[in-house]
Amino acid sequence: MSVSDRLPDTVGRRLPEGDGATAAAGGLLAVVVALLVAWLPVTTPIPGPLSVFVEVGVLFGLYGILVLGLDLQYGHTGLVNFGHVVFFAVGAYTVAMLSAVDSFSGVSLGYPWPLALVAGVLAAAVVGGVIGATSLRLRDDFLAIATLAAAEIFHNVTVNFDGTFGGNTGILSIPRPLDELAGDFDTALLATLVLFAGLMLLTYAALTRLTEAPYGRVLRAIRADELVTRSVGKSTLRYKMAAFVYGAALAGLAGGLFALYNGAVAPGFFTIQVTVTVWIGMLLGGAGNHRAVLGGLAIIMGLRLVSRFANEAIPVTAGTFASVRLIVVGMILVLVIRYRPAGIWGDPDELGVDT
Amino acid sequence: MGLVQNVIFGLVQGSYIAIAAIGFTMIYGIVNMINFAYGEYLTIGAFVGFVAATALPLPLPAAVLVAMAGAGVVSLLLAKAFFTPINHTGPVPMLLTSIGLGLVLRNVIRLGAGRSARRFDVDTVTYQFRGIPEVPIGPVDLLGDFFVTSEHLVVIGSALVVFLALHALLTRTDVGIAMRAMSDDVDLARVRGIDTQLIRNAVWVLAGMLAGLAGVLLGVQTNVSVSTGFSQILQILAAAILGGAGSPYGAIAGAYVIGLVLALSTAFLPASMTGVSSAMAFLVLVLVLLVKPSGIAGQEVREA
Repeated sequence: MSVSDRLPDTVGRRLPEGDGATAAAGGLLAVVVALLVAWLPVTTPIPGPLSVFVEVGVLFGLYGILVLGLDLQYGHTGLVNFGHVVFFAVGAYTVAMLSAVDSFSGVSLGYPWPLALVAGVLAAAVVGGVIGATSLRLRDDFLAIATLAAAEIFHNVTVNFDGTFGGNTGILSIPRPLDELAGDFDTALLATLVLFAGLMLLTYAALTRLTEAPYGRVLRAIRADELVTRSVGKSTLRYKMAAFVYGAALAGLAGGLFALYNGAVAPGFFTIQVTVTVWIGMLLGGAGNHRAVLGGLAIIMGLRLVSRFANEAIPVTAGTFASVRLIVVGMILVLVIRYRPAGIWGDPDELGVDT
Repeated sequence: MGLVQNVIFGLVQGSYIAIAAIGFTMIYGIVNMINFAYGEYLTIGAFVGFVAATALPLPLPAAVLVAMAGAGVVSLLLAKAFFTPINHTGPVPMLLTSIGLGLVLRNVIRLGAGRSARRFDVDTVTYQFRGIPEVPIGPVDLLGDFFVTSEHLVVIGSALVVFLALHALLTRTDVGIAMRAMSDDVDLARVRGIDTQLIRNAVWVLAGMLAGLAGVLLGVQTNVSVSTGFSQILQILAAAILGGAGSPYGAIAGAYVIGLVLALSTAFLPASMTGVSSAMAFLVLVLVLLVKPSGIAGQEVREA
């Protein structure tokens, strides 16, 4: 059932499903604007208090790509991938190893960054294919465990093989193309914000197109009832595999972009925290709806922003504050599943959950 | 270090993984969920035991019983508050809830106890043995000298007691037989007049008690800190799945496989790679699942 067929009484409770063409145009425009901002010899200083917003905004762009990919896997196809961070990390590390120049730890080959970025996406897709091939036949929660374990193994490997991955230090001196183009730090940050927002919109457009096509209908049919879908002659495993690999590749893209923005990668950037944030964003907004998952993510990232300011106002140690924040995040996850299983803007009927 | 020594370490590690994995796998078999917060139950047990042994102070065996009771109660209360209300929604929401709950528990413990590690005050007796031949194969001796500590013996002995008690419970008591019936087929069990919710509660208490025991043993062996239990959850999980999720006997076998693989991999791998040992557990897991997707002793878990 396509979203436009929905009955009027449920439409009112949802954000309208996005328009792919508008998003694509907006995304392209944003990318062009980003390049102009970076390339024109005009410097744009960001006022001090605003820089936090810009940084969280940049992260939102990356996590937005992550959550859209995850939603293709879970919201549309029903694949429970709880190791999304591993694809993010594989993309980032691949880009780092191929493009870094003379990092004092780990492999740094110094190839041009566009090549590295493509390789990062491909590497994440391949890892997704391998994990998918071994685990997609298993029951849902076992897939979750297998992906969770994959993330743990990758984390372990990056910490321990310091000759290759730089250990806890990670890999430094990754090229930062926008910084080089822009010259000064603030302009580059602003350009990055616009660029990532644009790429997120392009991802949104591509996925909207994919899920509104008959292809997307097959994915949702698999989610609703795999056995029935198979009985009408669809190779469900192939569809599941494709959705899993697409999601992984998108996470790899986000990872690669992160490496090129941050200039360094280290195991500390790729913890289960990333997975949890993206999952909560998706569930809070409403899985299966591109706009809703971005909305949910915005709420969670907004919470992060608020908590950053709150920490300055409330005199407790950063450690205590971090614990309190994680307790809040955990409780949100628990309460959303219990009281709002379809999310704020999700459709309980389509997700097959009772409220 | 000799091979014998590593086998002993493997048996010790396998023992406390086994004690915990039995509880974990019974939750899986009877409540039908993977409880990712289970590692935190071990931590709670370790802290309750530590407080009982130092603040009250009780002798260690009594502290162990207090820890088991404490963790059992906590496990039941958490289940009633968080898991029972969403029992009907299927395994995935339950798993996600347990991940959120684990995050909450870990940070509540961190707020209460801080990051520092505490040590149980126990006297350790070490028994030295001389291995007969010392034939080096690669980095290890074939047999070599070895030692056993009193703590090693306590851990292995506790595991044996638990196994015997579990076997008696599952084969000789009504509650245990009802548990097995529910693990096989919940609907059939209900039709036969088993109070399924009562049995689920019993499983939560039992699993909590086992976690409490494993937590104290682990705390005595290493130390008591926020990460005591969480550091074990992936091994527990690997053992349970390896043994065939839902099968207590399989979990015991899986735990010793994991324990021995971990211990022997630290011996045979070069020193620079010792940190990879937890990944080794998963490598074994993945290899077994590829050959036999339902685990060593498991029922069919394949959905498609």
